[in-house]
Amino acid sequence: MTGYLASPVQVLERSGTTVVARMSVAPDDPVFAGHFPGFPIFPGVAVVEFAHRAATATGALRLAAVESARFVRPTLPGTTLTVRVTWDDAVRRCAAVVSDDDGVVARIKLRYEAR
Amino acid sequence: MTSSEILRLLPHRYPVLLVDRVVDVVPGESLTALKAVSANEPWHTDPGDFPSTLLVESWCQAAVLLSSWGEPDTGRVALIGALADVEFHRPVAPGCVVRHSVRVLDARGDAVAFTGESSVDGQVVMTVGRVVTTTRAVADLRPGNLDS
Repeated sequence: MTGYLASPVQVLERSGTTVVARMSVAPDDPVFAGHFPGFPIFPGVAVVEFAHRAATATGALRLAAVESARFVRPTLPGTTLTVRVTWDDAVRRCAAVVSDDDGVVARIKLRYEAR
Repeated sequence: MTSSEILRLLPHRYPVLLVDRVVDVVPGESLTALKAVSANEPWHTDPGDFPSTLLVESWCQAAVLLSSWGEPDTGRVALIGALADVEFHRPVAPGCVVRHSVRVLDARGDAVAFTGESSVDGQVVMTVGRVVTTTRAVADLRPGNLDS
């Protein structure tokens, strides 16, 4: 895909109800041309998309809701993001904590439905 | 409001300028904007619907248009601080014209809270419980100046 999550999402670890994934935000990601000219910031919704792709790396689920998302710090070009996704037992809701080298970037809760 | 006026109020540019037209605004209260989804957008190189998270971004840009309406250029940019209870009800495909309805819930200093929904052909595709935007000085966000 070009223009939105140009970088691949790599699943590092999967155990029980937990998934850990990583993505390097390329300095030349096309999104930075428009977000924003002169001061590139990785969009908060793209951080949510990263968490969503990590959460659904193993199964086809439809994103039903962003129950909550709190953005702690902006993500800059060249940052490596790591997400830890923890599913509930029914695999319908998950909590995702996205971090960079300096700590937490965003805390996100997502809800899913069967496709 | 035309596209050139949107360009004046929003710092967003291609490929993430996701509002095409403002059809109604009550400054400080509410705004309605249109986003025409096209198969020519870069994310549609993969088959499928318009990404839900970009629908949120598009709605949030309408929210920023509302909060910056009639405001002089302050050298600050609005960023999404928090989202709550954003529900996706129907898929949005290329060819759809999305109508975003945005309402201000409250505004305290830098933080503005919004609520609303998006619809296509009269059917609700997304409801937005609450979005809070905060602003940062653009000068602080230029490469080399960011301390966070």
